[in-house]
Amino acid sequence: MEPLISMGVLALIGAAATIAGASEDLESDVGSQSNANSQVQLAPQMGYVHRIYNKAIAGEPVSNALMCTIGATGALVLIKHFGFSPLFALVIGSLIAAMVHGSYSVTAIMGREASQARFKQPIYLDLIRSHTPVIMAFAFLTTFSVMIVSYLMVYSLMHPFPFVLLCFLWGVVVGSVGSATGDVHLGAERQFQATEFGAGLNASQSGNIVRKGESGLRNGIDNLWFCSKFGGPMTGVSFGMVVFLGTWILVVFDPAEGNLEGWLSNILGLVIVIVLGIWNWHIEKETREKYGPYKEDKGEEVSA
Amino acid sequence: MIDIVGLIASNLIWILAIVIGGTLISISVHFIPVGGAPAAMAQATGIGTGTVMLAAGAGIAGIIAAGAVMAVNQDLWVVIGAAAVGAAVMLAATMIVATWIYAYGVGVMPVSAKVKYDPITKYRQDLYVSQGTEGHGIPTVAYVSATIGGLLGGLGAGLAYYALMKVSTLPVTNLNLVAVVSTFTIGFFFINSVIPSYNIVGTIEGFHDPKFKKWPKAAIASFLASIPLGILAVVAVGSLAAVGGL
Amino acid sequence: MTEKKMIPPNTLLAFGVVGGLVGVYLAYFLAPMNPIFVFFGALGAVCASVWGADVVRRVASYGLGTGVPSIGMLALGMGIIAVLFGLSLGLGPAGPLVAFITSCVIGAIIGIISKKVVGMTIPIMVSATTEIAGAGALLILGLSIVIAGSLDFGVVVTEVVTTGFIMMIYIAGGMAMLHPHNSNLGPDETQDRLLALSAEKAGIAVVLSGFASVAGMGAIAVTMLIGLFIWYIFWGKYYGFVKRDAYKVIDVGMLPTEEEMQ
Repeated sequence: MEPLISMGVLALIGAAATIAGASEDLESDVGSQSNANSQVQLAPQMGYVHRIYNKAIAGEPVSNALMCTIGATGALVLIKHFGFSPLFALVIGSLIAAMVHGSYSVTAIMGREASQARFKQPIYLDLIRSHTPVIMAFAFLTTFSVMIVSYLMVYSLMHPFPFVLLCFLWGVVVGSVGSATGDVHLGAERQFQATEFGAGLNASQSGNIVRKGESGLRNGIDNLWFCSKFGGPMTGVSFGMVVFLGTWILVVFDPAEGNLEGWLSNILGLVIVIVLGIWNWHIEKETREKYGPYKEDKGEEVSA
Repeated sequence: MIDIVGLIASNLIWILAIVIGGTLISISVHFIPVGGAPAAMAQATGIGTGTVMLAAGAGIAGIIAAGAVMAVNQDLWVVIGAAAVGAAVMLAATMIVATWIYAYGVGVMPVSAKVKYDPITKYRQDLYVSQGTEGHGIPTVAYVSATIGGLLGGLGAGLAYYALMKVSTLPVTNLNLVAVVSTFTIGFFFINSVIPSYNIVGTIEGFHDPKFKKWPKAAIASFLASIPLGILAVVAVGSLAAVGGL
Repeated sequence: MTEKKMIPPNTLLAFGVVGGLVGVYLAYFLAPMNPIFVFFGALGAVCASVWGADVVRRVASYGLGTGVPSIGMLALGMGIIAVLFGLSLGLGPAGPLVAFITSCVIGAIIGIISKKVVGMTIPIMVSATTEIAGAGALLILGLSIVIAGSLDFGVVVTEVVTTGFIMMIYIAGGMAMLHPHNSNLGPDETQDRLLALSAEKAGIAVVLSGFASVAGMGAIAVTMLIGLFIWYIFWGKYYGFVKRDAYKVIDVGMLPTEEEMQ
C-alpha cells in the first residue's frame, strides 16, 4: 500500500485505540473490576458494607476479550450471511456485545454480594439498575473501537489473522493495559481518598474504602467522575501507544521490502523501548528528589 | 487416516523449535514484574495485573506483529525479532503510563522492597517504601527486567508461530493455515504462561526478586508439557494440506 | 449451610461426560439427515460447561496462587489443541471421542507436571486438570458442530477456525466455566447457584453459536431459541437462588444501621 495511505489508516487506528483504552478503563471504574475490586470485595468482611458495584466478571483481559469477540462474531455474521454494510454491522455487533456484557455484570454483582450474606451486605437493585446501562454504554464504545482497529488492520493493512481472532487478541491486550494502568488510579487513590496522599495503601487500611460521597453514599458513578479526569485518559494514551507504535514501526520500515527493512523496524522498536525506559528512570529520579524518603536513615545517624 | 509417524519424523526440527518456544515463554513470565492485585493499590512493586494476563497481553502483541511480518517476509530472524520487539513495546508503553499514574496520580515514587539498593541505578530503596506496603511503582530494575521478559516471551511465541507455519506445505498466505496456526499459538501461549504463574504464586518483581530463582522448575515443566503439545499441533497443522477441501 | 444438598463430583462428572458425548454424537449422526439436529451438540456443550464449572469450583477453592481465569484459559487452550488434533486424523465417527480422550490425556500430563515438577500442593490437581480439559474439549466439539453443521476437519477449519469463531467458542465457553466461580466468590457461595449460573452463561454461548451457524436457517432458529430458553430458565433459577442466599435484596436503601450490623 501507498505509505501515505498507510499512515492515514494508522492515524485512524491510533485514534480508535485511544478511545478504546479510555472507555475500557472507565467501564471497569463504574463497575469496579479486576485488581482494584479486591478492596470492594474485602470491605464488607472488614465491616464496611458499601453501595459500590462489584463487577467481578473475570479478570479485565478476559472480560474485554469476551465482549470484543462477541461483537466481532455478531458483526461478521451480519456481513457474511446477511449482507450488511460493515459500519452498520459493527454497530449492531457492539450492541449485542454490550447486552451480553450487561447480563454478565448483573450476575457478577448479584453472585458476589449473595456470597457475602454473613457480612450483611445487601443487594441494592437501584444500584444495579442505574449502573448497568452505564457499564453497557462503555462496553459498547470499547467493543466498537476495538473492532474498528481490527477491521482496519485486516481489510486495510492486510493483516492475515481472521477478524474475530484479531478482535479477541486486541481485547486481551486492552484489558491487560487497562488493568495495569488506569485501575491504579481507582485502587490506590479514589478508593482511599481518606488516607494521606503520596503513599501506597497501608496494609492495615485494607478494605477501608471511602463509602460516603460528596453528597449521599458513594457509588461507582462517583468513581467514574473522578477517574475520567486522569486514569481513564491515561489508559487511552497507553493502549493507543501500544497499538500505534507496534504498527507504526512496521509501516515506517516495511518488512515486505526486504530483510534490511525488517531489521530496521525491529531496531526502531528497541529504540522506542529504550527511550521509554530512560523516561521511566528520569521520573524515578525526579520523584525521589521531590517527594523525599518516608523514613530517616537510622544507620547513617548512628555513624554520624 | 494420515501418516502420523511420517509427519512427526519429518518435522522433528520444528517440534524442537516449538518446545524451545514454550520454554522461553515460561522463563519470560518470571522476568515480568507482576504486582497483581496489591499493585493496583500501590501496595506492591510491579505492574498491577495478574501474571498470566500481563504475559498474555505482551505475548499476544508479539503474535500480532509476527503474523503481520510473516505474511510478507519469511526470514526466521526477522519474524521472531518482530514478535520479540512487539511484546517489548507493549510492555514499555504500559509501564511508562503506569509510572505516570503512580508518580502524578497517586504521588509515590517507583521503589522496590525486595532489595536494599537497585542493582542497576544503585539507588537506596528501603527508605522510600511507604509504610505498610511492599514497595510500589516500576523502578528501573523492574523496567529492565520486564523488557527482557517481553523480548523472551515474544521470541518464544514468534518461534512457535514460525515453526507451525513451516510445518505445512501450504503457502504462508493461505488463510486457513494462518487461522489454524494462530489459534494454536494462542492456546499454546496460554498454557505456557499459566504453568509459570502456578510456580510464581502471586507477585514477582523481576530478576532481582528471590522468587526468580524458582524459574528452572517452570522451565522444565513447560519443556515437558510442550513436547506432547508440539506433536499434536504438528500433526494437526501438517494434515491441513492433506484433507483437501481447502 | 447447604453442604448436605451438594451434588457429588462423580455425579456431575457422569452428567458432563455422558451428556456431552451423547449430545455431540446425536448431533454428529442426525445432522446429515436434518441440520436442525445440530442443537443436540449445544445441549452437550451445556452439560460439559456445568461439569467444568463444578471442577473449577473445587480446584479454585484450594487457591491457585493466581486468578481464577487462568484455569479456564488453560482448559480451553488444551481443548482447542486436542480437538483440532482429534479431528485432523480423519477417523470419521471416532474423531470426537479421540479428541475428548486426547484432551483428558493432555490435562493429566499438565496436572502431573504441575504437581511433580512445579510442586503444587493441591491434592486434586491431576484429576481437576484432566476433567477440565475434557470439559473444554466437549464444549468446543459441541459448539463447533452447531456452527459448522458437521465435524469434518475441512469444514470445521473453514467454517469455525478460519472465520475466527473458534475464539468466540474459546472465550464464551471458557467464561461459562470460570465466570460462575469468579462471580460467586465469597464465604457464602453455594453449589446450586453456581451451577445454575454456568448453565445460564452456556445458554448465551449457545445463542451466539446458533447465530453464527452455517447449517441453515432452521438450525439457526432452533438453536437460538433453545439457547434463549436455557438462558431464561436458568436466569430465573439463578435469581431465585440469589434471593434465597443474599442477606437482603432491596429496591432502594441506605447502608444497614449500626444496630443491624451488630
